[in-house]
Amino acid sequence: MSLRRSYTAIVERNVLWQGEFASEPYESAWASEAIFFVRALEVSRDFAGTAHVQISADGIHWVDEGSSFDLPKSRDEVTFCKVRHFGGFLRIHGIASNDGVKVLVSLALKE
Amino acid sequence: MSAHRADPRLSRFDPLERIIFYDDFDEGIRGWSELIGNYEHTLDSMLAEYSDMRPPMLSNLTMWDTGAAGSMEGDYALKLASRARAGSLATSIKRLTFRRRGHIQLECYFTFKPEANELRLSLNDVRAFGVLFDLQDGMNPEYRWMPHLRYLNAQGDEMINRWQMKGATREFQKIGDSGETVSHFHLGPENWENVDAPAQTLAYNEIATKMNWHYLRLNVDLAERRFLGFQCNDLIYEGDPLKFISIPAMPNLNCMLNTAFWVESNRDKRAFLYLDSVLLSGEF
Repeated sequence: MSLRRSYTAIVERNVLWQGEFASEPYESAWASEAIFFVRALEVSRDFAGTAHVQISADGIHWVDEGSSFDLPKSRDEVTFCKVRHFGGFLRIHGIASNDGVKVLVSLALKE
Repeated sequence: MSAHRADPRLSRFDPLERIIFYDDFDEGIRGWSELIGNYEHTLDSMLAEYSDMRPPMLSNLTMWDTGAAGSMEGDYALKLASRARAGSLATSIKRLTFRRRGHIQLECYFTFKPEANELRLSLNDVRAFGVLFDLQDGMNPEYRWMPHLRYLNAQGDEMINRWQMKGATREFQKIGDSGETVSHFHLGPENWENVDAPAQTLAYNEIATKMNWHYLRLNVDLAERRFLGFQCNDLIYEGDPLKFISIPAMPNLNCMLNTAFWVESNRDKRAFLYLDSVLLSGEF
């Protein structure tokens, strides 16, 4: 039996997002499915933010994929978004309120 | 003819007696992970330099102008990508232990480039890339020792094109409040010295979207703690043993045999190091 390859990358760790943010590009051409997990390490009261999945042919020019999800609003809360059929490069991009959230972003990929 | 010469994937290597690992990244990430610093209670306790060493990824070398180049032998390479910030490092590590203190030899095929987001030569946008071993003796250990070799491509606007070694690390610092954890940053810009070898200009090939693969070999003697030499393409260094970082043995690192690669940006632009394949062989 051949097992499906999988890999989880920590694309952002202990990073404060305030205002506009984008995770670092991650090459995912080998994978057919992905989940972005965002865990709040520290978050201010009344925080609000939304992330949009973006795809890219070259890792330089980005376009919204169409999927969006809320960022976590309390410490250790996790939010996520599932994506399929995304081509070569993945990231999340969005707007966080100015009081900010410190995040750990995991990208779980599977063949 | 030895068996590895008959294997098209291995015949481009010159391994020692036995292969410890052979990583062809068409098969996956193969145990290479992001390097992280030590911490206690909170990630904020980590030395700042270790806080963001970037996860490795599998790349098929897709370029905006010509599409995917694939790797040297197959479709995928291991890619280390810095942030778009001068001095940003991406560092990946594979952690093993050894079973005999003999010779070891690391070989790989690599290429490096800046992100191709400007239509200009970009020759000096990658500052450096390198490879290191993090080693400690086994039974009754005396030393932890760390041979480092880097190719300093450019510093600021100046092309350097020199191979360098490192003979000293920074002071150890206490991490957290338990007294159990320490850390030292050994990839800073200080204490690098030129190896007594000519400058070597590696084929860059004119624009940021063309990659040529290069061969690199390092030799280390675990028994005598000697960093014996290296080869990159047609440059072979077999002179006096190279300098390395040496520190007293630490409590829980016996027989450690770690290998790490890194790449450093020289501009506010991502720097990429690609590894087609890595082979570690030894006498054991």
